[in-house]
Amino acid sequence: MARPSFFGLLLIAPALAMIGGLFLYPLGFSLVAAFTEPDGDLSVMHFQKAYELYSTDILFTIFIVVVSTLLTGLFSIAIAGILTLSETPWLVGALRNLYRWPLFIPFIVAAQCMRTFLAKNGLMNNSFVALGLMEPLQTTSFLDWRGIIITFVWKQVPFVTLMLAGAMASVDRATIEAGRNLGASRVRVLIELVLPQVAQTLLVGLVLSFVTMLSVLSVPMMVAGSQPTMLTVDMAFRINSYGDYATANALGVISYAIAGTVAWIYLRHNIKREVQA
Amino acid sequence: MLHGVSLSVVPGEFIAILGSSGCGKTTLLRTIAGFQKASGGAIRLFGRDVVNMPPERRGMAMMFQSYALWPHMTVLGNVGYGLRLRGVPKDEIRSRVAKVLAMLNLTGFEDRKVTNLSGGQRQRVALGRALAIEPEILLLDEPLSNLDAKVRIQLRSEIKALQSRLGFTAIHVTHDREEAMTMADRIVVMDTGRIAQVGAPKEVYDHPNSPFVASFMGAENTLSLDVRPSGSGVEVRADEAPPALYSGEVPVGPVTAYFRDDVASLDDPNARVDGSIVLPGNITQRTYPGGHYRYVVAIGNRHFTVTDDRYHELARPVGLRLPLASLHMFSNNQTTGGNHA
Repeated sequence: MARPSFFGLLLIAPALAMIGGLFLYPLGFSLVAAFTEPDGDLSVMHFQKAYELYSTDILFTIFIVVVSTLLTGLFSIAIAGILTLSETPWLVGALRNLYRWPLFIPFIVAAQCMRTFLAKNGLMNNSFVALGLMEPLQTTSFLDWRGIIITFVWKQVPFVTLMLAGAMASVDRATIEAGRNLGASRVRVLIELVLPQVAQTLLVGLVLSFVTMLSVLSVPMMVAGSQPTMLTVDMAFRINSYGDYATANALGVISYAIAGTVAWIYLRHNIKREVQA
Repeated sequence: MLHGVSLSVVPGEFIAILGSSGCGKTTLLRTIAGFQKASGGAIRLFGRDVVNMPPERRGMAMMFQSYALWPHMTVLGNVGYGLRLRGVPKDEIRSRVAKVLAMLNLTGFEDRKVTNLSGGQRQRVALGRALAIEPEILLLDEPLSNLDAKVRIQLRSEIKALQSRLGFTAIHVTHDREEAMTMADRIVVMDTGRIAQVGAPKEVYDHPNSPFVASFMGAENTLSLDVRPSGSGVEVRADEAPPALYSGEVPVGPVTAYFRDDVASLDDPNARVDGSIVLPGNITQRTYPGGHYRYVVAIGNRHFTVTDDRYHELARPVGLRLPLASLHMFSNNQTTGGNHA
């Protein structure tokens, strides 16, 4: 038994070394650094500092990511619902071809596009003015928290829709037809019959989106002003301007905690389902 | 694709649409239900044209082959959904669902998950869901084909009994001839998007109007015959057999006769029976499926299956006796033959 297990270990050794060296070591190191004083004693002083300086940004980050996740969910349900239930072939065809595009655009490019689109004299406002919908003086810039949310939702909706539309397509069509046959409108069919059958997929998509949005640096940095801003920007600032890894690490641990809460909700839901089944 | 399908259904009637797969029977049902748009023509429901009406407003209930129960709901949720859509109060839904479940021998199943039920129970729940809204028309899309034989036969009679009791109109799509025969008041046989024949089960079975219907209703053996006028009746000749006289109504000239295994019987090879044709041949195989023997008789280079109560030795010359009244004869000049055995 000793020899085969030794060779087995040898085979997975490179992969293990990669995970250990590039993921576990830095993670462990930053965790330890967040809880260690300069003289080596354990303490929460970095967290105190992070809280004093960035408590508004922590709330701002949670607000941005939660609102973006909810909006992403709403838009994804609407698009996937149209793709699954619409009886207008041209609408389905157009939507199917268009909705995936943002998937292939990196966050930084999306952020750059939004800067020119959402600015006070950007493409969006200029179009409204040209259409006569508003006066040049009435235009306002969307380059603040709204800009971040718009960019996040624009970027994440295709991803969640892709998962959701796939799951909806694999739902037995007859369960949809049975609902309509009994008199349910398409909206009711979507909300009461289709969505509960794909809830698991929606939850996975939203959890993944939540964690992704929590970790994006370029969008809050480029789209919005400096105050308040998201934790990623603060972390970059602590490191680049002060070389203050300790406070940056403490902010990182707070981000883990926020992401961990969502992961916990997801896992709990999963276990509940397994117990029921 | 459906071509020139015209069918009138009387309220309270049980209609079975019978056909092989791809003949358009499910398309017809789905067009009636509104899931498939008709490019032309009309579907009149009590005089009202519903062709452009969405399925949810047609007021029909449908049973699906795959049960189509909603897995996230309980039995109560599934059966009561149609009532919930109609704004019926919760307490009333519960009592009406209980009544429906009692009718289907599912009393006490309200709070069970539908995923924990057997196939037969699921299809009963699906029937309950359709019947709970008290529809005037029930559409059945091969609802029994996923069930095992015993449950299928039991559900057949349950559906039929409920239909006679509650008086709804039923349109049942199936490829199972026996199912159609036992359940329906009238059978519609479909062939490549067209209605081939409509009639009572016995009428379609005993008097098919085309070679297709004859072979679909089980008369899959074919025999070429020559019919000539003779005196007051006709003289029927087969290649291998002595001519037989017959006074019934048959087409004259070269014909193809279609017959079921069970109309043939074994006789003496030289027997001459009025109104029957006797083909001389040899027994090549004998099996005993229970109750009677089944023989394979070789006549020339053709083989026919015959059931007979008596025991016969193999390789014995016998006569295959076919009563002319039980043959379905179609003139070769009208039919193109088709793909018959």
